[in-house]
Amino acid sequence: MSDLLGFALSGLVSGALYALLATGLVLSYSASGVFNFAHGATAYLCALAFYELHSGFGWPAVPTALLLVCVAAPALGWGLDRLMFRKLARVGETAQIVATIGLLVALPALGLWAVELLDDAGAPVEPAENQFGLPGVGPSPAKSWQLTDGVGVDSDQLITWVATAVVAVGLWVLMRHTRLGLRMRAAVDNRELVELRGISADRLSSVAWMLSSALAGLAGVLATPLLGLSSHDFTLFLFVSATAAVLGRFLSVPLAFAGGLGLGVLQNLVAGYADFAESLTGFRTAVPFLLLFAGLLVLTRRQRVAGTAAVDAAPVDYLAGRSWGRRWGPWTVAALLLATAFYTVTTPFWSGLLAQGLALSLVFVSFTVVTGLGAMVSLAQATFVTGAALVAGLLLSHGWPFFAAALVGTCAAAVLGAVVALPALRLGGRSLALATLALAFLADQVLFQMGWLRNGDTGWEIPRPVFGPVDLSDDRAMGVAMVVLVSAAVASLGALRGSASGRAMLAVRSAPAAAMASGVSVVRTKLLLFTLSAGLAGFGGVMYASFNTRITATDFTAMTGLVWLAVVVAAGVRRAQFAVVAGVVFVVVPHLLSEYVTESAHVPVMLFGLAGVALANDPDGYCAAVSVRRWRRLGPAGPSPIPPLPETGAPPQTPYRPERPRPQTPDGLKPRRCGRGVSARPAFEDEPRSGDSGGPGGGSPLVSGRGGIGESPAQRQPALALHDIHAAHHTTPVLHGVDLTIHPGEIVVLLGPNGAGKSTLCQVAAGQLTPTQGQVTIAGRDVTSQRATDRSRAGILLAPETRAIFPTLTIDENLTLHLPDTPSREAVYTRFPALAARRTVPAASLSGGEQQLLSLAPLLQHPPDVLIADEPSLGLAPRVADEVFRLLAELRDAGTGLLLVEEKAAEVLGLADTVAYLAQGRVAWSGPREDVRVDRLTEAYLGLAAPGAGTQPHPAEEAHHP
Amino acid sequence: MSRSLRKLGAVAVAGLLLAATPACNSASNSGSSGDGKGGDSARGVSGDSVKVGGIVSMTTASGYSKKDTDLGAKARFERANAEGGVHGRKIDYLGAEDDGQDPARNLAAARKLVQRDKVFAIAPMSSVTFSGADFLQDQKVPTFGWGTIPAFCGPTYLYGFGGCMVPMPGGTITQSWPEGLKKVMGGAKGRSVAILANDNEPGTFAIRTYRQSFKAAGFKVTYAKSVVPATSVPSDWSAYTKDILRSDAGKAPDAVVSVMQTPYNIGLFTAVKRTGYKGVLTDPTDYDPGLLAKSATRKALDGVHVLLTFQPFEQQSADMRQFKQDIRKTAGKDVPRNMHMMTGYMSADLFLAVAEKAGRKLTTESFQRAAEGFSDTGTLVGDRALPKGRKEAFGCGALVRLKDAKYEVASPFTCYEPIPFR
Repeated sequence: MSDLLGFALSGLVSGALYALLATGLVLSYSASGVFNFAHGATAYLCALAFYELHSGFGWPAVPTALLLVCVAAPALGWGLDRLMFRKLARVGETAQIVATIGLLVALPALGLWAVELLDDAGAPVEPAENQFGLPGVGPSPAKSWQLTDGVGVDSDQLITWVATAVVAVGLWVLMRHTRLGLRMRAAVDNRELVELRGISADRLSSVAWMLSSALAGLAGVLATPLLGLSSHDFTLFLFVSATAAVLGRFLSVPLAFAGGLGLGVLQNLVAGYADFAESLTGFRTAVPFLLLFAGLLVLTRRQRVAGTAAVDAAPVDYLAGRSWGRRWGPWTVAALLLATAFYTVTTPFWSGLLAQGLALSLVFVSFTVVTGLGAMVSLAQATFVTGAALVAGLLLSHGWPFFAAALVGTCAAAVLGAVVALPALRLGGRSLALATLALAFLADQVLFQMGWLRNGDTGWEIPRPVFGPVDLSDDRAMGVAMVVLVSAAVASLGALRGSASGRAMLAVRSAPAAAMASGVSVVRTKLLLFTLSAGLAGFGGVMYASFNTRITATDFTAMTGLVWLAVVVAAGVRRAQFAVVAGVVFVVVPHLLSEYVTESAHVPVMLFGLAGVALANDPDGYCAAVSVRRWRRLGPAGPSPIPPLPETGAPPQTPYRPERPRPQTPDGLKPRRCGRGVSARPAFEDEPRSGDSGGPGGGSPLVSGRGGIGESPAQRQPALALHDIHAAHHTTPVLHGVDLTIHPGEIVVLLGPNGAGKSTLCQVAAGQLTPTQGQVTIAGRDVTSQRATDRSRAGILLAPETRAIFPTLTIDENLTLHLPDTPSREAVYTRFPALAARRTVPAASLSGGEQQLLSLAPLLQHPPDVLIADEPSLGLAPRVADEVFRLLAELRDAGTGLLLVEEKAAEVLGLADTVAYLAQGRVAWSGPREDVRVDRLTEAYLGLAAPGAGTQPHPAEEAHHP
Repeated sequence: MSRSLRKLGAVAVAGLLLAATPACNSASNSGSSGDGKGGDSARGVSGDSVKVGGIVSMTTASGYSKKDTDLGAKARFERANAEGGVHGRKIDYLGAEDDGQDPARNLAAARKLVQRDKVFAIAPMSSVTFSGADFLQDQKVPTFGWGTIPAFCGPTYLYGFGGCMVPMPGGTITQSWPEGLKKVMGGAKGRSVAILANDNEPGTFAIRTYRQSFKAAGFKVTYAKSVVPATSVPSDWSAYTKDILRSDAGKAPDAVVSVMQTPYNIGLFTAVKRTGYKGVLTDPTDYDPGLLAKSATRKALDGVHVLLTFQPFEQQSADMRQFKQDIRKTAGKDVPRNMHMMTGYMSADLFLAVAEKAGRKLTTESFQRAAEGFSDTGTLVGDRALPKGRKEAFGCGALVRLKDAKYEVASPFTCYEPIPFR
């Protein structure tokens, strides 16, 4: 029993480092939704810097540590945020994961390279290799105390524990009891909404990354005595710590902290009591990864259907509509040239190098299946490679023929893939990536430790196959065979992509729910993808091992898989050809660099890492970067708009919100000029309207209501004016010259059918989308180029279609974001007792109506100049909707100009001063409410009005332009 | 679209197959590529020089580097050249390729040295991985390195400078560790040892080997487990020390044997010493005078007995003086010596000795003939004999003890009779 206590106690101490790393992970994840695989690498970089400055340059320990933790590390975090994380928050999850993996590779190499350069320059740096027992901030050697029999601590552990505890308390105070913390938590909940509330999410993200980076730095400095200068160990330590972050669901700092300590205790208990595992080699080593895997399965909330990254924006297809020859010609020629080259120009050395690159390409193509087609990040591909090759090697040693052995090996990998895929059916995105990583480590540490499978360190011989007259032990023959196999793989993937199954896969990737509704089995599709990819990786693995003529269990580790992923995705994972490029580049470039550029071994590593980092700018990879950029600049080529290929079948999306179906080829229906000049002549413009006889309350037939302010409109500027707005999502035009004005104290109701562009108009008005043409003014000031944050500060508020609340924040915290002062909040509570009763309840638990009230209530305290409400009554019961409309009317009376967007006209018409009707990206008609004729409205909704409106000006319009 | 793609794919494959078929035929007609194989004019050998390359892990993600291996080899080759070379041929040592402990780069380095640089032999090859082994054997490249990798056990062209140091089925186990400890502890009778290794397959294998080895020497093995997580150094060792220190019927064993790497040993020995343990601590990895530079490692390893498979630098002998002199001359200054210099030096030394025996007409055949039946005695790694060295280690070792920031010889370098490996 005293043993148990002792283990628990010392585990609590040794768990502090896990806690510290996990806390940093949680913080950076909270800030930007990016799981930072490079957190350990940042820690390593700081450890290296600490060592060089302290031991090399002889700086004193504590000031150096403070400098690194408080200045250097935050500066690194700030720089990385500016350079990549900020952009990463806007690209797909795959690119996010891979970019941080790239960083994980690049940062240590960068540090070591810097040391190398400093050494060359004559600086007093110490070599970074073979350094053990490095000093930390405390005394070196550490003082140690024996607390009880068997339990001892040393000064380094104590320092770590105290520092971690201080940090945890500090963070808890920051997150729970400061304005900055509240905003950061709000940004986690809904980044877009935070910006709409005038808070710069970018700045919050910078702060969080600086904090997270400082925490990594602290962990690095504190861990130096334990981990030395092994970037590999730092990264492994980080993955172990990730278990604690999972326990905190990536969101809760206290839980992650507790999880870290618990992990330390658990490891001690396993070390002390897991005697049952003695016969299973590797079990104790694998415990943290078992926990990580179990934690992910149990604790990950099911956010998406069957693990698809929903925000993985579809890539542009810059070759859409190009001829067969344009799409495939260059690749075919390249393959033929390569095959010919083996027997004509390449030297034996280059034949070997190219054959190796091609063999690796075969493995790399498997990423195209699971990540490119399936949008799932698998970090277990190296496991499939090792598994297949070991099985094949085992069989070959029993005298099996090569092809039978390769086939069984491939099948073994496919089975392994199916096993790994099982969690994929539950998990998605980063959780899936971590789960596959955990499984990869488990395989490395338990499965591949089995003597009968791995055959010790000797491994298995896998001779090159010989069939008929063709002997692949010649590198040239091997190279040509590889060209054939790789071409076959690429071609079959192309065919698969175009087939029914391929379309099902893409459907599952883009819209799992919709795919399910159309009868596509998401479960089966995902299983199929993983199995196929694993089989392909396995086959590639057997061929690669056969190029090496041997496989040992340590040839391809989980970490190898990580680097591979970064290399493939950096090249581009959407097309199999790019994976081939990646394979060849991965093998050839280090050689070229060392031959012609630099002898330093760190530079190629750094470059491969940085290629992953570059995904922040070109999420589709460097192979396509030039073409995509050109395509973006010039627009789609070809004489007519081509329907997108299957791979781009999902509608282009803004990073933030799902777009509704857009009008079809608007240009074809109506000439643009005509549309704007005649039919969509707006009722309200900036031009003087001396003829208007303004009256309060929307009583005038000609002009907008004034909300009882009683001022003549001619004397007052509109609060918000949109002039000739053209806007597009990516290259799909949505708005074609919209004019709209909202005056203070006026309610403008914008009607229109689904897909008319209403929400797009709201985005333009709120600054979320920059128009391609036209002007937005606030009180006469041009704000076209201002982003949402600044617009919001200028008084333009958007209540988006989804409820404008932060679901995980409590009601009180939601209100505090708008109303920092207590009296204002109390006023809200007085007015809405229902909210007061539940002020400490997370907003997510409120009903839809209550949520809408919560989002509008604080506005009553400080009415904005303009409120743009996108479908405020959506999904509300009529009684609740009435309540919401009453609040809106109250806002108008307080002088706010309102733009209400509704699909259902009947309810809001009673509220409107002015009605504008949007159809196919144009204001088809607008005028005072009194002039709205129900039959016209009906026609309009049925899609009959727009063409007619062009030839028959509405009476209101005639009256307006005499 | 899908149909045209499929058609396209089919056409592409067909085209490639067409392109490939004659190519494959021509491959089979021309036979296997012949570079470096046999013939009178051996690859890399000219009238007055022999080209030799090296493969060494210099940069790694684990922070472990063997780069001084290169210096050791260079020092030995420079002396050979200063003495007139081998039968009139100077050694043209190209320096070592860095394989970064990466299997792919190890093979690439081997290929580059053979196919581009056209070396006659590779010495040294020192890494944790040796995926170039099969290629080098196939291309008949005599390769000399540290025989801790199974590839050095068996293949005819690969030579461990201290023999094959991995106990193989039908081979033997070197007894230098338990025999050395016997000298230190005054015999094995009634002495108990606890052996600890990492929780992975190599750890399990080490436990199996050393349990047999220590038992055969007469020790009582009270604890022999591979239980320490292999991926990250435990920050708390109490669970392990408790088990170990009670293993001898509730008492502490007389010796604690660690078969782990330096970071683990530092943690383990610190924790064991903290409990007041007064017995013998020993491991096979921590003979690195560089460790003495840090107060933390100095303290953690103080009193630890370290096993060596070569003569300790502290032992006075003509060969050792020569070694130190050669290293100093090549480095241009006094550098702290380490075992990697020794592996490089002795890899080069074995190559030179065999080449010397091969005579003036140097080809792979003549070299291999010379290697068969080669033997000499009293070198820095003991008595060398081939082809015995392909199956077992030369069986010599020493124990040094770290005391007051200095290594001192605890059990001098001696060759012991090995026992059969079961």
